[in-house]
Amino acid sequence: MIELSEVSYTYPHAVQEALHRLSLVLEKGRCIMVTGPSGAGKTTLCLAACGILSHEYGGKKAGIVTINGKNVADYTGLSDIARTIGIVFDDAEAQMIFTTVEEEILSALEYRGLSPDEIERRLAAIMEVTYLSTLKDRSPHNLSGGQKQRVALAATIALGNDVLILDEPTAELDEHATRRIVSILANLRQQGKTLLIVEHKYDHFREIVDTLVVMEHGTIAAIGAPDEVLKDERIKKIVIPDFSGIRNGRSLTVQVAPAGTAAVPAIDIRHLSYSYGDVPALHDVTISIGAGEFVAIIGENGSGKTTLVRQFNRLLTPTTGDVIVNGRNTRDCTIAELARDVGLVFQNPDHMFFADTVRDEIVFGLVNLGIDNKDAIIDRALEEAGLLHTKTLYPRWLSRGERQRLAIACVVAMQPNIIVLDEPTTGLDGDEARLVMEILKKHQQKGHTVVVITHNRDIARYCADRIITMDEGCVVSDTRAQEQADG
Amino acid sequence: MAEILQYVHKDGFFHRLTPFTKILFIVVAAVMCVIATGIPFLLVMVAVLLLVAYISHLHRKLIQQLRLVLVMSVVFVVITVLTMPNGTTLGTLIPQGVPVIGGSIPVTDGAIVIGLVLALRFMVLIFAFQLFLISTQPRDLVHALDRLHMPVDYILMFIIALRFIPTLQIEGQRIHEAQLARGYNPGTGLLGKVRSVQPIVVPLVSNALLRSTVLGLTIDMRGYRTGTRTRVRERRFCTGDYILMGCLAIAAAGFTGIIFFAPGLVF
Repeated sequence: MIELSEVSYTYPHAVQEALHRLSLVLEKGRCIMVTGPSGAGKTTLCLAACGILSHEYGGKKAGIVTINGKNVADYTGLSDIARTIGIVFDDAEAQMIFTTVEEEILSALEYRGLSPDEIERRLAAIMEVTYLSTLKDRSPHNLSGGQKQRVALAATIALGNDVLILDEPTAELDEHATRRIVSILANLRQQGKTLLIVEHKYDHFREIVDTLVVMEHGTIAAIGAPDEVLKDERIKKIVIPDFSGIRNGRSLTVQVAPAGTAAVPAIDIRHLSYSYGDVPALHDVTISIGAGEFVAIIGENGSGKTTLVRQFNRLLTPTTGDVIVNGRNTRDCTIAELARDVGLVFQNPDHMFFADTVRDEIVFGLVNLGIDNKDAIIDRALEEAGLLHTKTLYPRWLSRGERQRLAIACVVAMQPNIIVLDEPTTGLDGDEARLVMEILKKHQQKGHTVVVITHNRDIARYCADRIITMDEGCVVSDTRAQEQADG
Repeated sequence: MAEILQYVHKDGFFHRLTPFTKILFIVVAAVMCVIATGIPFLLVMVAVLLLVAYISHLHRKLIQQLRLVLVMSVVFVVITVLTMPNGTTLGTLIPQGVPVIGGSIPVTDGAIVIGLVLALRFMVLIFAFQLFLISTQPRDLVHALDRLHMPVDYILMFIIALRFIPTLQIEGQRIHEAQLARGYNPGTGLLGKVRSVQPIVVPLVSNALLRSTVLGLTIDMRGYRTGTRTRVRERRFCTGDYILMGCLAIAAAGFTGIIFFAPGLVF
């Protein structure tokens, strides 16, 4: 159906090739999963395969892409190609044009030359298979990440194309939402659709994948049946994150008090409840996190994890109850004061970068807190994050993994004794995810308290000392990691 | 967070109307409020709009914007007092007792009246436009403007500009929080707002530009610009449309009659 032959591509103003002499055949009815480090060219491959590079992008191009035997350059435009190929991008929000779920899907169907009866029939069927029937009148900004992703997928499936290209459709989704997407895709595969999926969650997709492609440096590093490809240990570490040994590799340079026995807990949460207006988000949460602990908070989307950690530096103030950080009630502190104690790394690093260089990005936090000896601190933070070579680069030019590590470096440089991270491995391959967790472990070993929100149970199991599970705004379990692994 | 100018899913009187009737409603209201200069007449127009909103169960949404409308009204009055002194002087903004500049900037009754007229016109226009937007699904608007042969690119540009207002609001809030968490304290007031521009606006614009690329590609890949649309679930003229159009015709005729035979009522 789609054939890429010796395709090379360099983005305008870029020096390095994003794709280098890449050849790939996507056969009818097959499901190919593409994975690899950030910056390896996975998204560029998607853009090349559906003709977007050829029709919409400048830059240096070489090689041939054909769809159903016809060169993409010979199609009249994207609307012409869109009769055969549908694409779903990773940013679901950007793919929602209308103001209700049903309107979004119906509008997509209106432009396919179908009869009104066929449109109604197909709309009802798609709402059903994508589990959106109960959400049909919701607006985009009132949907969760998983729901938005399902709407974007449904609007594309509605087009009835034979080929679907999906660029990280489950990047920010929890396990439940991911399973729903996978079950929709499994259904499409059974219908004979051809699928090209860029993903990092191989474990979830293994049932539907025929061919596994691992990309590195703009080209294919490995391709074949998943079992064959995964025989190579180096490749396997890219595809399947391996966090084993991170917790056991602990060699403390600072003596840390065992959990719960520290004289003053790093974070002491007492009967905390919080509501967004009339909507309750946290209910009577009581937790004590000891200094030097590595805590993972897990739970589905909407379970209250992010709402909980935003109380630590008073981005949110408890409706009732108290949060005591290093012995001080957050109600008596400003956000700026708490920033000295609590460093919060948000899920999307792009929410914080605005400076012209990596160095200036770190300087921002140091200036805010009036910290001197900046150069030494910056160099140390960048070295720990493995980013010293990027010091003079523009932060947004870095790969997703590097940007994530820079976000951590920006916060660590401010020398807070508590580091809180919201989904730090989103969009990262196995190697990068492990690197991020190793960096965090090192900070714990230096005496920092580390709190990580994650959907990834392996991170909780292999990296954290303690796992707090949340559901519907309540803590439903609080266990030592070993107990849970054994259990 | 208040949703500005977003469609509200309801089954009220205004929701059931076709976009054509609602566009006519805005045009008649706009023309009348621009021509009229009488404060009582403009107050009646505001009251009628609020009544229509109440009948359509949309009054709460209009009242949510009251703060913005009142702030703008005060700005209009202040600007006219400062720039258009006219009529009897009621006093001065700077008291007579102040040395050198005392007694300057007169507050005149004419300027206050002009300011109030501008404020009421603004109120009528904002309420009418808001009623239209929060009761009209973008799809219906696309259908209506398509029938008026407006190019699809312009239609999409318009609905996307409105659709992404809350997205940018939420994104701006997240970026603001991310910078606060880094110890950033831009301060309050106007100076604080100015200081916070770079750390907030730069990521906001950068992210929005990236998003606009994906949005543009999505529009093309879903075929919205091919122009061959099946007409399905199009809103048809209903009794409400005929009632409102009749009311608008009577209002327009009455307004024209008043201008000629009793101009004191509107001027």
